[in-house]
Amino acid sequence: MEEYHRHCDEVGFNADEAHNIVKECVDEILGGEDYNQNNINQWTASIVEQSLAHLVKLGKAYKYIVTCAVVQRSAYGFHTASSCFWDTTSDGTCTVRWENRTMNCIVNVFAIAIVL
Amino acid sequence: MEKRSRILKPSPSQGPHHSPVALRRDRRPSMFEREAYAQILKERLRESFHDVQYVEPPFDDSIADIGKEWKSALSKLKFANSYRMEPLKKFQAHPVETKIQQILKESLKDVKYDEKVFSHLSLELADQILTVVKDFGYHRYKFIIKVLFIQKTGQAINIASRWIWDVAWDSWVQAKHETESYVALVLVFALYCE
Repeated sequence: MEEYHRHCDEVGFNADEAHNIVKECVDEILGGEDYNQNNINQWTASIVEQSLAHLVKLGKAYKYIVTCAVVQRSAYGFHTASSCFWDTTSDGTCTVRWENRTMNCIVNVFAIAIVL
Repeated sequence: MEKRSRILKPSPSQGPHHSPVALRRDRRPSMFEREAYAQILKERLRESFHDVQYVEPPFDDSIADIGKEWKSALSKLKFANSYRMEPLKKFQAHPVETKIQQILKESLKDVKYDEKVFSHLSLELADQILTVVKDFGYHRYKFIIKVLFIQKTGQAINIASRWIWDVAWDSWVQAKHETESYVALVLVFALYCE
C-alpha cells in the first residue's frame, strides 16, 4: 500500500519557531548598537540574510520572503499593511518588532508552501 | 475477561500498565479499557497487524499526536497530476508596476498625512491592490502585497528584503509615491504555486 509520510508532523507554518529565529538574529546584529548611517545598509542586509539562512535550515518545504525595515528612532508616523492571496492552511506569516534606544526594527517573514 | 487475566500474570519486572505483546491476534479490546485506547486508534489508522508495546496513561502527548497526524493526512487533498511544469502565463512585472503606480497616484493625490486616516487607508489600499493584481489573470500564482507609509520627519529609514523562491517564475514589483509629508511604498510579490 502506498503511503507518503512527511518527515514533519505539523500542518501549516510554525510562527513561533520563525519568531524565535528572527528575534535571535536581530538581537545578535543590532543588540547594543546605535543608529549609524555607515553601517545601516550592512546591518539590514545581514539581518535579512541570516534570518533567511536559519529559516531554510529548518528543512521544511517552504519558499520564504523576509522583509526588514530599520528606522531611526524619533517622532514619526509609520503605517504598514499587507494583504495576501494564498492557501491559508499551509502558508503563514510572522512579524517581529524590535526596538532599542535609537532604532526601531520591523521584520516580516512570509512562508509559502511548496506542494510536493 | 480474557485481557484482564493476562495482565495479572506478567513477570514482577513489568508494572501493571504494560500490556504483554500478543503472540496471537487477540480479541479486539473494548472501547472502555483505558490501556486499549492507543491500540484501537492505531488499528483504525493502519488496518494492519498491531501490537501494543508500551502504553502510558492514555491521554499522553504521543497518542494525541497520532490523532493529529491522521487528521492532517486526511485534510491534505490529493489532486490529479496536471503534468504542467510551468505557469500558463508568466508573471510580467512591467504592466503590473504601471497599473499600481497609477492607482497610488490616484488614491493619494491630495491626501495629507493623518494618523487615523492612514491606518485604515493602508489596509484598504492593500486590499484594493490585491484585487487589481488578481484581475490580471495570472493563474496558480500566490500574491503578497505590502504597503508602507512613512511620515517624513527627517529620520532615516532603511528597508531590505530577501527571499528564497523559484527564480524562473516568481517575481516582485515595487511602486513608490512621494509627497511633501510622507512616502508611500508598495511591494508586490508573486509566487507560482507549483
